[in-house]
Amino acid sequence: MVISPIHYIFVPLVAAFAIPLLSKLNKELPRIIPGIVLFYNIIISFVLMQEVNEVGYISEVIAGWRAPIGINLIITPFSGFLVSLISVLGFLIWLYGFRFKKVIDDGELRSYNILQMMMITGAIGIIITGDIFNLFVFLEIVAITAVSLTSFYRGRDGAEAGFKYLLIGGFASAMILLAILILYTQVGTLNMAEIAERMHTVPTGIKSTILILFIVGFGIEAELFPLNGWAPDAYSQAPGPTSTAFAGIVVKAGVYGLIRIIFTLFDIEGAYDFLIIAGLITMIIAEAAALKQTNLKRMLAYSSIGQMGLALIAFGIGTKEAVFAAMFLLLNHAIIKSLLFMTGSILMYNSKEKTISSLHGIAKRLPFISILFAIGAFAIVGLPPFSGFWSKLYILSAAADKEMIFLIVTILAVSVIEIIYYFRVVSKLYFAEGTTNVEVYKPKINAKISMLILGIAIFVIGFYPDLVTGYLHNAADILLDKASYIQYVLNTDSTIQ
Amino acid sequence: MQEQFNEIFIKYHEIITIGVYGTAIALMLIGLYAILMKKNLVKIVIGLTILDAGIHLLFVGIGYIQNGTAPIFSPGYENSADRMVDPVPQALVLTAIIIGFAVTAVALSLVIRLYKHHNTAKIDQIKHLKW
Amino acid sequence: MKQVFIIILLIIIGYFLANTFVEIPFGGNRIGNVESNETVAGYYLSNTAKKTGVANVITAIVVNYRGLDTLGEVTVLFLATTGLASILYRRKEEEEDTERLNLPSSRIMRSGVRVLFPAIVLLGIYVFIHGHLTPGGGFQGGTIVATGFLLMLISYKGFNTDHNRMVWIESLAGLSFVGIGIWGLLSGNTFLENTTNIGVVNSLISGGLIPIIYIVVGFKVAVELTGILDILLKIKPKK
Repeated sequence: MVISPIHYIFVPLVAAFAIPLLSKLNKELPRIIPGIVLFYNIIISFVLMQEVNEVGYISEVIAGWRAPIGINLIITPFSGFLVSLISVLGFLIWLYGFRFKKVIDDGELRSYNILQMMMITGAIGIIITGDIFNLFVFLEIVAITAVSLTSFYRGRDGAEAGFKYLLIGGFASAMILLAILILYTQVGTLNMAEIAERMHTVPTGIKSTILILFIVGFGIEAELFPLNGWAPDAYSQAPGPTSTAFAGIVVKAGVYGLIRIIFTLFDIEGAYDFLIIAGLITMIIAEAAALKQTNLKRMLAYSSIGQMGLALIAFGIGTKEAVFAAMFLLLNHAIIKSLLFMTGSILMYNSKEKTISSLHGIAKRLPFISILFAIGAFAIVGLPPFSGFWSKLYILSAAADKEMIFLIVTILAVSVIEIIYYFRVVSKLYFAEGTTNVEVYKPKINAKISMLILGIAIFVIGFYPDLVTGYLHNAADILLDKASYIQYVLNTDSTIQ
Repeated sequence: MQEQFNEIFIKYHEIITIGVYGTAIALMLIGLYAILMKKNLVKIVIGLTILDAGIHLLFVGIGYIQNGTAPIFSPGYENSADRMVDPVPQALVLTAIIIGFAVTAVALSLVIRLYKHHNTAKIDQIKHLKW
Repeated sequence: MKQVFIIILLIIIGYFLANTFVEIPFGGNRIGNVESNETVAGYYLSNTAKKTGVANVITAIVVNYRGLDTLGEVTVLFLATTGLASILYRRKEEEEDTERLNLPSSRIMRSGVRVLFPAIVLLGIYVFIHGHLTPGGGFQGGTIVATGFLLMLISYKGFNTDHNRMVWIESLAGLSFVGIGIWGLLSGNTFLENTTNIGVVNSLISGGLIPIIYIVVGFKVAVELTGILDILLKIKPKK
């Protein structure tokens, strides 16, 4: 059995269905099995990335039916890059979350592990599927697991945040379903490549209706303004590893969905301008909201929304250089924001209100975690030796190439706001007088390792950006080359039945 | 019988169209109204299911073909492939219904949790997080 | 005030949708020529019987052509049960303080349910075994079986589902679905490929693996829906 994209789906499924039985054998198994599965994902990614670098596309058909008839899974350099990122992050999040909370009962432990693993699988599924309805199914897997995990703790207002998320998410999925329905009546197929090929036959009025419905649906997962009301609540109420997964993994899947729809499916020029405007509004409002937050996790959540806005702006500029910069930003955001959420959750571990003021002088007691948090904060605002600097620089230069002065000014102004609120937290960590007598939580060695890996990654990419830029340039080229995608999916002769 | 039906279909085509699409769209709007206006959590969940029901009805509606039969090759229908209704929306709606059910179940469990925690199911009294 | 605003919003949305659907004639033929394979629906209608041996095209689509969707759907249901169990989880000591919500049921109800229950379960099993021949299938049959259990749960106080057995059925059904898929890979084909002899259309044993998958799905759906009902009903605190 050679390694192929379907391994991303069925290995976690086997594990998920088997965990309820295996947990009867040994109480530790539900904790350990997801780790093995997520590590296997990294192996799959490694093998597939080498392959995709040589051939450009990997396509796999399900049940032996060629592309438009059956469902196909497709890995391009762009989706391969995102999937590898998610696999590595997923494993690190598992490592970090291993024994994170004292979950006493094995029933709770079992559900938590299954849900966390399946959320990552759902996000991977969104990215690798080549069929629009299958994408919807994976989106629902993510939505259901995310809601259940948000309301996992009973001591907090988790149920409230979860209900809010579920309501908005249910509305989003209804809109996507409606969009798929109208699209199907127009093109008579559900395969994304074939839809893209036939899109020019659709009347403009209907086309824009479909696009609006899709944007409303995916905008909710991608945290587009004004559809992101669920995000800060869900981030702040979910368990630490889960909010890390929200920032690092779920949002990426949502952005991917939006980009796939706009770049591959539709050929409307105005959609790019829409991305810029929506991204701009999202970024400005989110960063302004982040400035006045008192809860650390809410602040990080708003900052995450702002960064996604920036990524959408870069995608919306639409040149090769800009798309490359946007991907670089996604990579950096995944690494840095995950590190911030991981360290933030530990700094806040025993604090009741989870406010920034409870961080006063905590650096003396948790020096290792605090230095990692500071590195993350410096990196995300884009200070030079760290990795965040490069992505911001590339976005600005891409905007400069198209002479979008207003955009450059806004991005720089927003960066100043970012610097203000991140530095406020860091200075509280180090220089404020210690007033809290909350007992600090000492992280276990596994959590430390996983945070250290992310911290090192920030430096490595910061000093040697060339490690990834070559690959990302290639990925950007292929994302913009719609014709070869269609050609490849619809004319793979090895799979004809 | 079939011809009679056909005649009626052509004669009242517009009314039937409005009946099918209109009902579906009306259901969707009723569902949205309930989600946006109702204060009771259970009613909001019911609104969500009504919204879903409207969309499911549309799915089945667009698959219909005039003078069509069910897409099943039962004895006696082996050669009628060209007058069968579109099977794809029917297959999709099956998936959509099950997913809708799963979402509703999770929503109701959250309502139970919220009710236990706050001792009320009124949305305006549950405001620990900003709505 | 809010109400007026929302009604105006809804009217706009309704107008917008109606405008779109005016351009999609009801009952119009969008499949095109069935033999030309222009649309996927045309391909399904003209090829299902000879290529998969299944009489019910919808079953062939759900289980075979779009089998990954169905696997995802079963997973969604499984995750909903898991999520429900985690949201409404009760620790051991709380478990003892709760009992099942029990509405008083009349003698007529109880006697009627006793007669109907085996018939309903039998009908459900019939529906999912004949999923490839007649309308219906695993999901529909499983739902019918679950309604039988719902009737029992609301009318008999002493009726309890065996939690342990349900976990076993649920996991084994899920594993065999994925296992059938992996079997396709192991035998050198693709995931979920229908590798066995397809038989004669319109006989009970036809369609190769498709009816087997649908029966597995039927078991899983029945158990999961019953499990969800059981969890949702078990909320009443003991006084």
